[in-house]
Amino acid sequence: MDTLNIFITGFISIVLINNLVFTKFLGICPYLGVSGRIDMAFGMGMAVTFVVTLSGTLTWLVDHLVLMRLQLEVTRYVCFILVIAGAVQLVEMYLRKFFPRLYESFGIYLPLITTNCAILGLCLFVNLWGIDNLPEAVVLSFGAGVGFTLAICIMAGIRDTLKLADVPQCLQDAPITLITAGILSLAFMGFAGMIK
Amino acid sequence: MFPEIKHFVRQSWLLLVTSFCFGILIAATNSALAPTIKQNKINKLNELMSGLVPEAARFELVGQFEVITAKGAKATSNIYKGLSKSGDSICYSFNGQGSGFADKIELVAAVDKNFRQIAGFDCLSSNETPGFGDRIKPLLWRRQFAGAPAVKLKLVKTGDPEKIDNEIVAVTGATVSSQAVVNIINNYLMQIKEQMQEKGLISNGQ
Amino acid sequence: MVNDSHPDPKNNIGGVHKQAFLAGIWRENPVFRSLLGMCPTLAVTAAVRPALTMGLCVIFVLTCSNLVVSLMRKCLKPHLRILMFTLTIATFVTVADLFLKAFQPRMSEILGPYVPLIIVNCIIIGRAEACASKKSVPLSILDALGTGLGFTLALCVLAGIREILSTGAFFEIQVLPVQAQGGWFQPWAAMRMPVGAFITLGLLLAAVNLLSARKS
Repeated sequence: MDTLNIFITGFISIVLINNLVFTKFLGICPYLGVSGRIDMAFGMGMAVTFVVTLSGTLTWLVDHLVLMRLQLEVTRYVCFILVIAGAVQLVEMYLRKFFPRLYESFGIYLPLITTNCAILGLCLFVNLWGIDNLPEAVVLSFGAGVGFTLAICIMAGIRDTLKLADVPQCLQDAPITLITAGILSLAFMGFAGMIK
Repeated sequence: MFPEIKHFVRQSWLLLVTSFCFGILIAATNSALAPTIKQNKINKLNELMSGLVPEAARFELVGQFEVITAKGAKATSNIYKGLSKSGDSICYSFNGQGSGFADKIELVAAVDKNFRQIAGFDCLSSNETPGFGDRIKPLLWRRQFAGAPAVKLKLVKTGDPEKIDNEIVAVTGATVSSQAVVNIINNYLMQIKEQMQEKGLISNGQ
Repeated sequence: MVNDSHPDPKNNIGGVHKQAFLAGIWRENPVFRSLLGMCPTLAVTAAVRPALTMGLCVIFVLTCSNLVVSLMRKCLKPHLRILMFTLTIATFVTVADLFLKAFQPRMSEILGPYVPLIIVNCIIIGRAEACASKKSVPLSILDALGTGLGFTLALCVLAGIREILSTGAFFEIQVLPVQAQGGWFQPWAAMRMPVGAFITLGLLLAAVNLLSARKS
């Protein structure tokens, strides 16, 4: 029961309180680029969730079973990025074989996920927070993906409505999206202190 | 078998060569800089502890004690003994951690050599809200802990911060962060004091 | 009526090199124009000192990676090139991180996990793909220096605004007298939080858009 408690609080903390986009500034590039339409945003969110859960688990395993045993911590960054690139490659091959239509709809975004700061960022944060058991790492990785999906879908909904507003020329696209993200991050700050 | 290996090598020889060279570069840099990095960590801890107890000339590690945190998890705390220039032990210091308002708070606290009085504490790392919870860092608030008795501290919302007793006045608008610090110090102080008494390192008489 | 049918080759090379260096600073500024590398831009710009440190790290990694990629551009197999770029960048980021931990431990702590995030910074892979894998070594190095300098300038401008408004200091030197020390300025704590980062960058981008629209 205690472990379930830790998982639930960990999940809520990374989705709402320590949301990767609004508090740790991860995944901003796709966040600005893909949040134009809600279906693309949701698709991107799902892809990121899948890849980040897989990468978070794999990098935790590599870190604890290989790097720490062999005292090779200095190669951590190189190993992490190679594992992530490999995981994205696997996901791509899997989707191309079994879900070709889904693969087509992702287009360029799937290989671009490798350079998504959110993936490597989460793997590094899991390392930084000293998570020492695998289930907690999996829960946090999954939660990070869910948090990113939540953030990008909220932004897509807002941008949809913004299209009807009269935004000045110089503020269109990126600037107004950033200002909206700022106000959203202010709103999400209200969740802090939810967990004692 | 051979033509396959030959094909593999012809395609990826550059990858293998560069991986090897990069590996050597990383290994060389690491072995050259690792001692400096280790020394930096020790220096930082020493700097913080000397700030709390200026009379201590150097600090010696006494041991690593196991402590149960407020959440029920096990954590280890490093206990250091502060020695004066002549080698007499004048204080002890330990590090503690717990969850604050926004993120984890890590602090180091110092007590006198009989675990009767708190010398003070300093934050090793904290991520509290700027302007509110952040006010636990400056000396102005931390001064309340200097000289306080090493018993269970109580957080109060209003009171006299200049009075040296077991009551700590919280930062206005940052009760959770202040309570977190008090909880961490209480938790670690009580458990470490018990373990030190069990090991006979400090006297039992109160 | 100057006969320009045989332009001076030395002058031409100087022109190309100058272009490669200056492009990264304003015309193709990675942060303000290409909107790349947003993550460190928002994360480390709470004060000028971390921003400058991050900028210098990026210049170092960008230059070294462009140099190495340009040296091996003739031997790159097309389907392995992204992997090679990533490997090169990751190695130099590890080296830079070790140097930072050894000689600037306080900055290393403040920058935290954002130094290894330079590996996935789109700017560096973008320059390796677009420039270093195709052009000669001197041009690649100049391009790296120019882009890196543009990135550092963008970071420092953003950090300068945020630091002055949130603490009244610039590079830890007090510029505006703070009320807590008897002055008139009440610091804007919001500037140190994510909301300040997003809104300041948004307004800066709008200002850049306005400036370039006026110019053309």
